[in-house]
Amino acid sequence: MNEQVIEQIVRDVLRQIRAGGSKTTTLADKPGSEASPQAEKKDLDPQRDYPLAQKRPELLRTATGKKLEEVTFEAVMAGQVDPLDVRITSETLLMQAEIAEGVGRTQLANNLRRAAELVRVPDERILEMYNALRPNRSTKAELLAIADELEKEYEAKINAAFVREAAEVYERRGLLRTG
Amino acid sequence: MAVTRKRSKRFEVLAARPVNQDGFVAEWPEEGLIALHSPNDPRPSLKVAGGRVVELDGKPREEFDMIDQFIADYAIDLSVAEKAMTMDSQEIARMWVDPCVPREKVVEIFRGLTPAKILEVVDHLNVVEMMMAMYKMRTRKTPGNQCHVTNVRDNPVLLAADAAEAALRGFIEEETTVGVTRYAPFNALALLVGSQTGRGGVLTQAALEEATELLLGMRGFTAYAETVSVYGTERVFVDGDDTPWSKAFLASAYASRGIKMRFTSGTGSEVQMGYAEGKSMLYLEIRCIMVTRGAGVQGLQNGSISCIGVPGAVPSGIRAVLAENLITVTLDLEVASGNDQTFSHSDIRRTARMLMQMLPGTDLIFSGYSAVPNYDNMFAGSNFDIEDMDDYVILQRDLMVDGGVRPVSESEVIAVRNKAARALQAVFAELGLPAITDEEVEAATYAHGSEDMPERRVTDDLKAAQDLLKRGVTGLDIVKALGKRGFEDVARNVLGMLKLRISGDYLQTSAWVDGEFNVWSAINDPNDYRGPGTGYRLSPERWQVLKNIPQAKRPEEIGE
Repeated sequence: MNEQVIEQIVRDVLRQIRAGGSKTTTLADKPGSEASPQAEKKDLDPQRDYPLAQKRPELLRTATGKKLEEVTFEAVMAGQVDPLDVRITSETLLMQAEIAEGVGRTQLANNLRRAAELVRVPDERILEMYNALRPNRSTKAELLAIADELEKEYEAKINAAFVREAAEVYERRGLLRTG
Repeated sequence: MAVTRKRSKRFEVLAARPVNQDGFVAEWPEEGLIALHSPNDPRPSLKVAGGRVVELDGKPREEFDMIDQFIADYAIDLSVAEKAMTMDSQEIARMWVDPCVPREKVVEIFRGLTPAKILEVVDHLNVVEMMMAMYKMRTRKTPGNQCHVTNVRDNPVLLAADAAEAALRGFIEEETTVGVTRYAPFNALALLVGSQTGRGGVLTQAALEEATELLLGMRGFTAYAETVSVYGTERVFVDGDDTPWSKAFLASAYASRGIKMRFTSGTGSEVQMGYAEGKSMLYLEIRCIMVTRGAGVQGLQNGSISCIGVPGAVPSGIRAVLAENLITVTLDLEVASGNDQTFSHSDIRRTARMLMQMLPGTDLIFSGYSAVPNYDNMFAGSNFDIEDMDDYVILQRDLMVDGGVRPVSESEVIAVRNKAARALQAVFAELGLPAITDEEVEAATYAHGSEDMPERRVTDDLKAAQDLLKRGVTGLDIVKALGKRGFEDVARNVLGMLKLRISGDYLQTSAWVDGEFNVWSAINDPNDYRGPGTGYRLSPERWQVLKNIPQAKRPEEIGE
C-alpha cells in the first residue's frame, strides 16, 4: 500500500465521520475504502456465488464494517445502525462487476466499476458533477477541472478519463458553455 | 349553395365507433413519421481500423455526432463485429426465432451489429415471430409486471392504500409521480410504506426530475429509478438537457448508492420533439437501446412510452413498438415494455397492443399498469387501469398466460388497504408530520379514487414534505417510526429494502425481489427457452392461483 492510498483512506474515513458516520470506524474494519479498480479479484463464479447475500454473505461488509447479519431490526431500534450501514461499498460494487463480467455483460461491469469509484464522492458533489456534465453547462476547463478532482481527490481514474473524453466530444460538437 | 352529400348509415355508425376518435396519419418520412422504412435511414456498414470504429452505417468517424461516437466506442463489441456484420440479415432473423438456436448465440451476434444492420434484421420478422423471439430472448425466465400508483391530489393516505393493494395483486415494481413537485417526498414515503405493507420486497420509485429522483433514492425513500431518458438524435438529446456521457455518469452515480436503475426511451420521441432528421422511428430507437447498453445500464423502459400516439398513428407502428422491446432484450438488457400511456379510445386496439407483450411475457409487461382509476393517473393515463383489472385477470385464465398479477378477494384488499393507511398514519405521527385522521384511514380503506377522500391541508403537507428532506430523514427513521408504533412486520420489510443496498445483488440485470427478500435476476433465473416444454412454464401452484377467480361458480354452489 503506497502513501497515496493511505492518505486516501484517511480522507475517506474523515469524510464519512463528517457525514455523520460511526465514530468507532477504524481503518481495519473498513474494507470498502481499500477498494480501487486494482483491488484483488475474488474469483467469483456467478452460478456458484450469486446472489452474494445468500451464497457469500461472509464477503459483504457495510461502509462501517458491519456484517450483513448485524444489520437487524433490533439493532436499528437500539440505535446501533448508521445510515452508512445501508450504503453499498466500493468493494461490493467491484464484486458485482466481477459477476457481471462473468456472465458476459462487459458494459454493465464497467458501469459498476465506475460506480465503485464514485462511492467516495459525497452526495452533493456527485449531483453537481452530473449537472456540470449536462450540455452547455461547463467550459472545457471546468470539465477538465472536474476530471482532475475525480482523479486526485477521489482516486476515480476511470471516471476522470470519462469526463475528459466528454470534454473532447463536447468541444467537437459545440456543447460547451460559451461565455 | 351548399351540397350535402348523402351519407351511408353504415359509415355513420362506424364513424361513431371509439377507434375513429384515434388519430391516424399517412407516412411522412421527411418528418420521421414512419415506423421502419425511411428512405433517409442509413445502409448498414462498419469499418474498423487501429482497434476502433472509423465508419458506422455509412458515416466516417470525423462526421460522428455524439451518439454515433458513443455507440461506436461503447456499444459494439469489435471482437465479434466483423463476422456478425457479414452475416445475412435474413439468416440472423431466422436464428432469432428458431427455438433450437440458444439465446446466448443470438446475443453474441447482436453484440457486433450496427443500428442499421439491426433494423434490417428485425424487418424480416412479423409480430408472431417477434413474440416467439421475445419468449426466447428476454433475459430473465420469469415474467413480471409494474404498476403506477398516483392520485390527482397527491393524497398520501390513498397512495399508501393503493400501493398496498397493488403489492397484494402481484406487481413486483411500483412507480409514482406527483401532481405538485413539492409533494414528492410524501409520495415516495407513502409508496414505500404502502408497498411494504402489501408485500415485502416490492421495488418502488418516484418519477421526478433527475437530480431530485437521485436524492430521494440516496435517502432510502425509493429503491430504483427509470425516468432517465435517452434519445436517438443529438439535437433531441441536447434539448432533453443531457448527453450520453452525462447519462452514463448518472447511471454510475445511482449504482454507487446501491440503487437499481434503467434508462427510458421510445419510438416517436424524436418526432414529438421535432428533430427526427428524417430517420425512421425504429432506427432512432435502436440508437437509444445501444446508448443504454454502452452506458452499462442493466435495462431499459421502452415501447414508445409517453409518445405512443406517434407510432400508434402510422402503419406498422405497433409492430415497431414490439420490435424495440425485442431488440432491447436481445442486446441483453432488462425491458420494462411500455403499455403505460393511454393509447387508443378503442378497447379492441388497446388490448391488441398489450397482447404483444403479455403473451410472450417480458420483465415488466406494463411500465406500468395503472393501479388507480384513470382520473387519478398522473402519467397521462395508462393503457390499462384498475377498472380493467378483472378483464386482465380473466385474460390470464382464458389463455393460461402469466400476466404478472393474481386474483384477489375484496376482504383481503380491504384489510391490506386499512393496514397500510394505519401504518402511514403511525409514521406521520412519529415523524411529526401533519396528522392523518381516522376518518382518512377509513376513507382510504374503502376508496376507489381520490374523489372518495376527505381534503387535506395541502399547504401544511407541502411545508412538511420539504422539511422532511431538510431534516435529513432517511429510510432508517421510517423503520424506527414503524417499529415504535407496533408495525414491526412492515418495519422489517422497509429495512429489508434498505439492506438490498449492502449486497447490491439487485443491481444485476432484470432483478426483482421476492417476499423473503431473495433477489431473482437474469443470473439466477436465466431464460433457458429451447422450445415446447422449456423456458417459463406456469407451475401447478401458480396456475392454481391464476385460475381461481372469485367470479367462477363452483359445482358445489350450483348444486343438483
